[in-house]
This record gives sequence, C-alpha cells and structure tokens, in this order.
Amino acid sequence: MGDPLFAHGVGLAVLIIAIVKVVVVFAVLMVAVMLMIWMERKVISDMQNRIGPNRAGPFGLLQSLADGIKLFFKEDLLPDKADRVVFRLAPYLTLVPAFLIFTIVPIGGAVDIAHHAFDLQVADPPMGILFLLALSSVSVYGSMLAGWSSGSKYPLLGSVRASAQMISYEAAMGLAVAAVVLEDHTLSTRAIVAAQSASVLHWGVIQTGIVPFLIFWVAATAELNRPPFDLVEGEQELVGGFHTEYSSIRFALFYLAEFMNMITMSAIMVTLFFGGPDGPGFHFLPWVWPILWFVGKTFVFLYIYIWIRAALPRLRYDQLMDLGWKRLIPLALGWLLIIAAFRVDDVWGFAVFAGCLLAAAALGQSIRVGQRRRQIEAETTGEGRAARAAKQVQLRALAARSEEGGAR
Amino acid sequence: MGSLDSYLPIFLMIVLGIVFAALSFVASKLLAPYRPTAAKEAPYECGIVPTHEPTYRFPVRFYLVAMIFIIFDIEIIFLFPWAVVFGQLHTFGLVEILVFAAAVFVSFVYLISNGALDWGPMKRVQPIATDEVRTTSTTVRRVGPSSGEAA
Amino acid sequence: MGHLVLAATVPDAVTFAIAAVITVTGALGVVLSRNPVHAALMLIMTLFGVAVLFVEEDAQFLAAVQVIVYAGAIVVLFLFVIMLLGVDRLESLAAEPMPAQRWVALGLGVLGLAEIVLLSRGKWPLGAHSVAGTVNGAGQQNVSVLGKALFTTYLLPFEITSALLVIAVIGAVVLARRPRTAGTAEIEDHAEAEDT
Repeated sequence: MGDPLFAHGVGLAVLIIAIVKVVVVFAVLMVAVMLMIWMERKVISDMQNRIGPNRAGPFGLLQSLADGIKLFFKEDLLPDKADRVVFRLAPYLTLVPAFLIFTIVPIGGAVDIAHHAFDLQVADPPMGILFLLALSSVSVYGSMLAGWSSGSKYPLLGSVRASAQMISYEAAMGLAVAAVVLEDHTLSTRAIVAAQSASVLHWGVIQTGIVPFLIFWVAATAELNRPPFDLVEGEQELVGGFHTEYSSIRFALFYLAEFMNMITMSAIMVTLFFGGPDGPGFHFLPWVWPILWFVGKTFVFLYIYIWIRAALPRLRYDQLMDLGWKRLIPLALGWLLIIAAFRVDDVWGFAVFAGCLLAAAALGQSIRVGQRRRQIEAETTGEGRAARAAKQVQLRALAARSEEGGAR
Repeated sequence: MGSLDSYLPIFLMIVLGIVFAALSFVASKLLAPYRPTAAKEAPYECGIVPTHEPTYRFPVRFYLVAMIFIIFDIEIIFLFPWAVVFGQLHTFGLVEILVFAAAVFVSFVYLISNGALDWGPMKRVQPIATDEVRTTSTTVRRVGPSSGEAA
Repeated sequence: MGHLVLAATVPDAVTFAIAAVITVTGALGVVLSRNPVHAALMLIMTLFGVAVLFVEEDAQFLAAVQVIVYAGAIVVLFLFVIMLLGVDRLESLAAEPMPAQRWVALGLGVLGLAEIVLLSRGKWPLGAHSVAGTVNGAGQQNVSVLGKALFTTYLLPFEITSALLVIAVIGAVVLARRPRTAGTAEIEDHAEAEDT
C-alpha cells in the first residue's frame, strides 16, 4: 500500500530522497521534451522529404535548446487590452498540471538505497488514477483563461473551442479509465501495473478488450489538442489559438507544457494498458530493465503521435463534437457495462450486450431525429431565413453587377 | 502513517514547477528588451488595425455542452468506487449500475434527439443551385477591361 | 468553549493552516472581486483548499470529486455562462437587482455560522485525521469502503441521484431551447448572434 518510502514516517533522509526523485523526474522530463521537439521536427521532415533541423549540434540535436535560449531574449509583450493578472497566471495553470500528472506514473520497480526502500515513481497517492482526471480537468483552465485574458478575438474563440473540446473528451477518457479500474479493482497506478505484470495476456489492453484503449487514445489525443484534433490552433481560422497573444518565454512555457503533456499521456497509456514497466528482465542490473521497457513503450506512442500528425488532416468542429459525444461516450459506457456483465457470468454478458445493441439503435434513431429537428427549427426560425436572405442579397448584387458589366 | 505523506512529492513538484516558471519570467525580464509600442500591444489581427470589439457572446450550445459534461462527470465519478468494489458486489452491483446507466442514457437520448449537440452547418432545404437568378453570368465574373470596379 | 482536539502532528497542523488560509482567501475573493471571471478563479482556489482539507481528513475520494466535479466541471460551466452572457465586461454593480439581498445574505451567513458552532459543539479538528470515523477507510482503503457503503447501505440515494441528473438534463434543454413561435425580430437577432 503506497510507496514504502513513507512506511516509517517522514525523516530527513526520506525528505531528501523525495526531493531527489522530484528533481530527477523534472530534469528528465525537460530533457525528454527537448528531444521530443527535435524528434518531431526531424521525423516530420523525413516524412515530408526534407532535412529538418541540422545545424545546432550533431544532427541538430541541440535545436530545441537553441530555440529555448533564443526565446529568453525575445520581448515579452503584454497586450494593452489584456487582463494583466490572469494573463500572467495562465502559463502557471498550464505548466504545473503538466508536470504533476507524470508524478503518478510508475517508471520502474522498487529499489533499495541506504536501507531506504522506495518505488521508482514520484508519488503513489491513494486517489491514484483519479489524480489524472482531476489534473486533466484543471488543465482546461490554462487554455481557457489564456484565451480570455488576452482581450483579443482569435485567442478568445480558440479558448472557448479548446475548453469545450477538452471537457467533451474528458468524459470519454474517464469512462475508459473506469474500465481499467474495473479489471484491476484498484485506483493506485502502481497496483494497476502490478495487476498486469503476470504476462502479456494480463495487460490492460487485452483484459479490457482493446476498445477502452482506443477510446482513451483518441480522447487523450483530443485532450492534448494534437492533430487531427488541433482545431484549437487552426491557423486558417484562429491564427495561433488561445496563445496567439503570448510571446517570448510565456509562449515557450505553453509550448513546453504541450509537449510535456504528450509525453505524460503516452506514459499514462503505457501504465494503464501496456503493463507499464512490465517486460522480461535479466539478472544483470535487474532494476534497469523495467525502466528500459517503460521508456521503450512510451517512445512507440510518441512516434505514433508524430506519425499521425504527418498523416491525418484536421477534423471539422462539428465532426469533432459528434465523434466525442455521439460515438465515443456511448461506446465507452456500453463497453464498460458489457465487460462488467461478462465478469458476472456469460448469460448476463450476452443479455447486456444485446441491450447495448438496442441502445445503440435507439441512439442512432435519436441522432437522426435530432438533426432533422434542428434543420426544421433553423428553417422556421431566424437562422435559415437570415442565411437565405443574405444569399438573396448577394445574388442580387452579383446580378446587378454583371448587368452593369454587360451594359458597358 | 498518514496518507498525507504520500502527497509530499506532489507538493514538492508543485513548488518546483512554480519556481521554474517564475525564474523563467525573471530571466526573461532581465535578458529581453522591453520597448513597447502601441502597435505591438494592440490585439493581433494579422496586421489589420482592429476596428470591432470582439464578441463576448457565445452560442448557447457551449453552455449545454458544459451542462451535459457535469452530468456525465457525476456519473463517471460514481463509476469509480463502483468499479473498485465490483468484485464483491457481483450481480447486485451490475443491476444497480445498469439502472443508473439506463437513466443517464435516457436523458442523453432525449438531449441528442433535441438536436442539442448538433454543431453541423445547416443543410439548406431550398437548394441554391436551382435559383433562377443564378446563371452563368451571375456566377462567373468576367475579369478584364470591360468589367466594372475592381474587386 | 470546547477543548481543541490537538491530536494533530506539526506537519498536519501546518497543512491545515495553509489550506484553511487558501480556502478563506478564495472565499473572500469570490465575494469581493469586481470581475466575475476573477471571482470564478477565486472559487477554484477555495475548492482546492477544501480538497486539500479532504485529503488531510483521509477522504481521498471526496478530494478527487471536489476537484474533478466542482473545479473541473461546475466552475467551467460558470465561466462559460459568464462568457456566454458577456457579463465580464458589461456588468455594472451600481444598480442592485435585489435590494435587500445584502442584509438577507448577512443574516443567513450568521445563521449558518451559528449552526456550525452548534453542530461542532466545540470539537475543532485542526488538522487531526479522520474524525468522521467509520465511513472513511484509511489511505487506499478509502474508496472501496466508500464504494461498499454507497452501493449497499445508501443504494436508494444513489439511484435517486440518477433521477436528479435526468431532471437536470431536461431543465438544461428546456432553458436553452429557442421558442417555437418564430418571427419576432428578437429571435432573429438571437439566431444571428449564435452563429458567431
């Protein structure tokens, strides 16, 4: 139960170990973000037949560092219509949750240094995976307030979009996590990893039947505002999204948080569905292998994020909302009930499965009814009429203009 | 054995994150130039001088989404203790969550069938293409010395 | 004048003090802020303080609920409504919409405080753990103990919650729906504003 580090209360040695853990993870995350930014640029340019960054350091490895240093020397502008306090506060609200989520990820097994046994995991709070949900709901505020406080059109539109998108997919994400909790009977991330460690067949992705993993993956991508869900910063419509007005190091912190969230979400996926640090170990340096497995699995997801960005076009906003609300959430809920029923016995399982199919049919019907109703409403009330009137005016103007042209 | 101890590293991480951000701002303040002008501080409009105040009103559907999210959030948060103890509840637990989920699902279906979560562009009932005003001469503008004013 | 329950250790008492200060500062901020968005932010701060207090009382699940539902969903709704109505810039506090509300609020506040004092009967748990006792399992047990209580003893309230949720959805849809009878200029304006 919990990290054995705190089994005998908090002394000086325990405090020092905790501080070392936090600082090491912080530093590793920073370096990982730097490498990730480099890797993204390099891989994308390979996929697009370009060379990518190749000047700073070997293979351009130091490019992100150079960019970071450059941003320190850039002028930090504060728009005169901005809400000064909130504008300054927003980067903190984005960055701190990004660092915090990684604390619950188990990186490796337990180690023993100077008679202090501790887990290779920054913290294992009793609320466990709920901590992830709590922080991902808090991180909405970073983008929401950044956009609002800028006092400018595009950031405001971007932030309202972003927050609606993030809360929409948070529900689906929570349901996918609930499926894992259902399988493993625990909230603690360490216990979730331990429950998956028997063999590959015990990994969450197999135990929960793939669907919750796919839902979590899509939802996490949408939470991160990564392509193909990056409408929040759709350049054609919204300039740079909620952080358009941010410059210099404030912008850098948003960027940092974005990439850090990507790494963290990949790590969480590995933890929940792919056994975390689980993998074959060897007698030589036994504590290193779990870490290597963990890093390797996380790397795969990071690569796939880049690949998706290079391959897929952006969704439209209504498609995004439809996918989140009308597909993912009902599917996640239904799947959760089905696996719960199959755990009771097969009769219940098939009964609930049939019930879910019926519910899906009802849902499909209600989607059609909803669309039809909205169409009628739009025609009878202002929306459709206003649009038609505008079109008429436009056509009349065009006709008048072409007549004029013909007369000359 | 207070469980508060296990939050110690999280607290340390919060402090470290805040200190890091604050130090970055201080460093930027020391290193970066600061020569604000009116143009730099104006809202970014891709180079156009802003004329309109931004709209501070948003579609009511955003409000609905937040409202529905609360409903689902509450449902999900109930699912977690249920999932933890499900092994002990068995059939009883399944039935009670089915009743609960059914109730939430009914309200969800009601919501969807009201079109509350439809964001799509309106499909026009009156097809524009058959409008008699729309001919080749209205649709294709001839550009050249004979045409009217510049676009 | 009851006796204080000072079973708390020093770190617990310090945590309690910090969380209490955060909570009260936030609450004062909500009341005193001129800008509704600042008030909402202060409300988040209060909710966080309360969440920390819950953690300290070993009510892990409640702490998570506090952040996930209240800070993560309900205040988002508040902020959406503030942005939706555009009150963040236009609100004027000079005209009081309900004339007597300050006095009523003061009276109710005093009444609430008296109630708390009466109920606690001088037992002030300044950072001591789990005065609530049986419902709270310690540490990671907390959620499963709570789950068992909720899904057996308190099953009926749980199921009634679902009815409440249905009512909330219907209420939201009815409030947000445009009137059926079309044709007035007001509706047209509304529809146009909606297409921003």
